[in-house]
Amino acid sequence: MREVVDIDLGLVDRLIEREHAALEVKHRRSIRYQKEASRSLPGGVSSSWQTAPPHPIYVSHGKGSKVWDIDGNEYVDYHNGYGVMVVGHAHPKVVEAVKRRVELGTHFAQPTEDALVVADNLAERFRLPLWRFGNSGTEATLDASRLMRAATGRDMLLKVEGTYHGHHDALMVSVFPQPDNMGPRERPNSVPQTAGLPQSYADLTLVVPFNDAEAVERAFAEHGGRIAGMIVEPAMTNVGLVLPEPGYLQAIKDTCHRHAAYLAFDEVKTGCALAWGGAVEAFGVVPDLICLAKSIGGGLPCGAIGGVEEIMHLVERGKVDQVGTFNGNPLTMAAARATLTGVLTPDAYGRFDELNAILESGCREVIEDHHLPATMTTLGAKGSISYSATPIREYRDGLEIDDRPSYLAWLFQLNRGVFKSPWAKWESWTTSIAHSDEDVQRYVDNFGELAAALTA
Amino acid sequence: MSQRVEIDPGRVEELIRREEAALVDKQPRSIEFYKRASQSLAGGVACGWHDSPPHVVYANYGKGSKLFDLDGNEFVDYYLGYGVMIVGHTHPKVVEAVRRRIGLGSHFAMPTEDAVAVAENLAERFGLPLWRFKNSGSESTLDAVRIMRTATGRDLVVKIEGCYHGSSDSLDFSVAPSPEDVGPPDRPAAVPQTAGIPARFGELLRIVPYNDLEAMERTLSAEAGRIAGVILEPIMLNIGVVPPEPGYLQGLRELTRRHGVLLAFDEVKTGATIAYGGAVEWSGVLPDVVALAKAIGGGVPCGAVGGTEEVMRVVVDGEFEQEGTFNGNPLTMASARATLTEVLTRDAYAHLEELRTSLAGGVEGVLERYRFPATVNAFGARGGIQHRAEPVRNYRDHLGVNERRIYLAWLYQANRGVLEPPWGDPWSISVQHSTDDIARYVENFEGFVAELTG
Repeated sequence: MREVVDIDLGLVDRLIEREHAALEVKHRRSIRYQKEASRSLPGGVSSSWQTAPPHPIYVSHGKGSKVWDIDGNEYVDYHNGYGVMVVGHAHPKVVEAVKRRVELGTHFAQPTEDALVVADNLAERFRLPLWRFGNSGTEATLDASRLMRAATGRDMLLKVEGTYHGHHDALMVSVFPQPDNMGPRERPNSVPQTAGLPQSYADLTLVVPFNDAEAVERAFAEHGGRIAGMIVEPAMTNVGLVLPEPGYLQAIKDTCHRHAAYLAFDEVKTGCALAWGGAVEAFGVVPDLICLAKSIGGGLPCGAIGGVEEIMHLVERGKVDQVGTFNGNPLTMAAARATLTGVLTPDAYGRFDELNAILESGCREVIEDHHLPATMTTLGAKGSISYSATPIREYRDGLEIDDRPSYLAWLFQLNRGVFKSPWAKWESWTTSIAHSDEDVQRYVDNFGELAAALTA
Repeated sequence: MSQRVEIDPGRVEELIRREEAALVDKQPRSIEFYKRASQSLAGGVACGWHDSPPHVVYANYGKGSKLFDLDGNEFVDYYLGYGVMIVGHTHPKVVEAVRRRIGLGSHFAMPTEDAVAVAENLAERFGLPLWRFKNSGSESTLDAVRIMRTATGRDLVVKIEGCYHGSSDSLDFSVAPSPEDVGPPDRPAAVPQTAGIPARFGELLRIVPYNDLEAMERTLSAEAGRIAGVILEPIMLNIGVVPPEPGYLQGLRELTRRHGVLLAFDEVKTGATIAYGGAVEWSGVLPDVVALAKAIGGGVPCGAVGGTEEVMRVVVDGEFEQEGTFNGNPLTMASARATLTEVLTRDAYAHLEELRTSLAGGVEGVLERYRFPATVNAFGARGGIQHRAEPVRNYRDHLGVNERRIYLAWLYQANRGVLEPPWGDPWSISVQHSTDDIARYVENFEGFVAELTG
C-alpha cells in the first residue's frame, strides 16, 4: 500500500476558520436573507438539506455549468441540485420544450402523448418494458415497495445500510444510523431515520451491508418467507460514490429470485447520470423494478417506476393503486422528453468520459504527490473523493472518516468558485454536459491548493 | 323536501349504452392511441386514475376554460386536472412566470427568493406562520402526519372514513372501503386501499365517521395519551362534496385541544379553491397543521405543509428531517407565486362565487323542477351532485349513491362538450370560466334529468 501522511486535524480546524471568515464576506446577502426567510420558512429554506453549515446559500440563477447566488458570486456547479441538472442549467432544448408546453397547458390529469415518448425512451434505456410516473424519487421508491409487497403478498423489505430511498415510511430506515444504535454489522438494527417514524414500521425493513451478497443470503435464510424483495442503489451515492464489486448485483438478484422475491434498483441518483442506460448498462444487471427521478426530468419535479410485466400488470389491473394527481404532468413530460431524447443522447455520455479523464488524472496526481489519505471514484456524471486511505466498500467504512477534511474541501472549493453538494463527506458530486475542460480544471487546481495547504 | 321521483334503472342502462356509443364515435384517436401507449405505459396511462370508463381520454392542449382532446374535441373543463387548474389553462400570468423562470434555471436544490414570497402568501391565507414545500399532496400529508407524531412523541393517528390523503403507507386506509370490509359504523375498520400495504401500518390508525363528534370523543378518550393527531378533509371532497355540519369543525378543534392532540386539515383539495384562505377562512377554525398541493402551483407539481410555531419547532430544530430534492423547486415556486399573488387574488374569489351561485343555483333549480333524487353542494370553485335523494353526511351514506347515474351524467356531459372529473369527483371552476360555460353545464344537466324523468 502506498504511503500516506496523517492529516493534522488541528490545522484543518484552523483552515476551516479561515475559510469561514472568507465565506462570510462573500455571502452577506444570503446570511441576512436567511433571517428574513426564517419568518415563514423554518430555517429559511424549503427542505432541511438546504441548510448545510455554515449557512444556506440563496441562488439567483444558473446557466450551463454555472450558478450565481444572490450576492452575485459565480460558481461552477458540481452540486447540480443534488444530481438533477445533468443537462446543465437552462439548456436551450429544455427551455424551448417548457416554453412550448406552458403555452398549451401544463396539467390535465389525463395522459398526453409526451408521456408515451418518455416511457418508450426509458424502456429502451433501462431494458424494462412498462413504466408509470410520479413526482419525486420518494414516490418512485414508495411504488417499488408497494409493488414488491403486493406481488409477493409478503410484508418485509430488505435494504442496504446507509442508503437513502426517499422520505416515506417504508424505507427511511438506517439511512445514517449512528454507532450507538446501528447494531452489529452482521445483523444491523432497523433504525428510523427521523422522529415521527414509528419503530413498528421500521421493523418491517431489514438492513444489510452493501457489497456483501452473503449478508443477503443470510437475511433470506432467516426471514425468507416474509421478504417481498430488496431495494438497492446499484452504486451507493450516499457515502461518496461506492461502486458495486464485480458479481455483487447479479448475486443478490439470484438470491432474491431463488427465494421468490424481487430486486428493485433505486436509480434515482444513478439513472441517467451514470450512463445512458444507468446502472443497468454500466453493470449489466437488469432488476425487476427501477426507480427513477432527478436527472430524467431536466429540472422539473419528476419520478418514474419501471418494471417487468409480471409486476406491472398489477397496476394495469388496478390491484395496486399507482396514482397521483400530478403523475405524468404534461410540463414534466415535455421537459423529460427533451432531456431524454434531445439532450442526454448516447453521444452526450462520451463527454463525461472526457471530463472524468481530466478530473481523475489531475486529482490522482495531487493525491499521489501529497501522499494524501484519499481515494477517488468517478463514473459518468458522478464522482467523489473520500478522505480515507483505503477505498470505501460500505456505509460503516465511511463512519470512521473524520468529517472535517471533507467539510474543509467543500468550503475551500466554494471560496474558489466551485459549488459542491453540501454534506460533502457523504454526497457525491455531479457534473453536467455543459461543463467545460476549464470547469473541471478549476476543480483540480483548487484541490491541489487544498492539498498543499493541508500538507504544508 | 318535496317527494322525489323514482328513476328506472333500465332506462339508465339504456341511456348509458347510447351515450357510450356516441363517445366512442367521437374519440377514435384516443381509443387507438391507448393500444400503442399500453406497450410502454402500464395500462396506457401515467396514473391509474386516468383509466376511467368507457376509455382513456388523451388530452392534447388547454386554453382558458377549455380542454382539447387528441381527437380535437373541445370541452368546457370542469375536471381541471382534479381541481388543480383553478387559474384556468395557460393563464397569461402563469405562462409568463414559467417562461421567465425556465430561462434562469429551474432547479438548484438551494433556496430562491420566490419560495419566501410563496410561504408569506400561504401564511397570510391560512393563518399559520411557518411553511415547507413538497411535490405532491401525498408528500404534504405524509409530512403533516410526521410532524404531528414528532411533536407529540406519539404514534396513533385518527383518520376519517372515506377521506383520501394521498398514497403514503400510513394514510392510504379506508379511502373507499367496500361495504363488506368497513366494519361496524361506530368502530370502522382500517381497510388498506390497495394491495401492498402491510396491516402493520393500519394498526396505528383509528378510523372515525365524518360529522360525528361523539365517535371522535369516544376514540380520543379510549386512546388517551397515545394519539398524535387527527387528520381530515375539512370539507370532504373525496366522496362527492360532503360539508361539515354546523359546529362540527369547531367541535373538533375544541375536542382535540381538550384531549391534547393535534389537528391537521388536509386542504390539498379545498386550499385556495373554496376560498382565499381555504377551509380555515371558510370555517374560522385554525388547525395546528395544514397540508396543501393542487391549486396552489398553478399547474406545476407542488405541495406544501404549514403549521403553528409550536409544531413547526420540530422542523426548525431538525428533530424531524423535512426534506426532498425537489422541495421548493424554483419553477414550481415561480408558478405558485404568480398563481397566488397575481391570479387567485381576493377579487378572483368574488368572481368564482358568482359562477358558483349560478352553477349550483341552476342545478338546484333543475333538481327541484324535476323532483330529481339528488342534492348539490358547492363551495367556491368546488362542487358536486350526490345522486341520492337524502343528503350525504358521511362515507356510509355515500355508499348509497347511485354510481350508474353518476356515470351516465358524466357521459352525457362529455358528449355535449363538458368534461367532468371521472369517478364522480367534484367539479372545479376556474377564474377563466364564463357564464356561457356555466349555462352549458346546467343545460346539459337538465337534458340528462329530463331524459331520465320523461
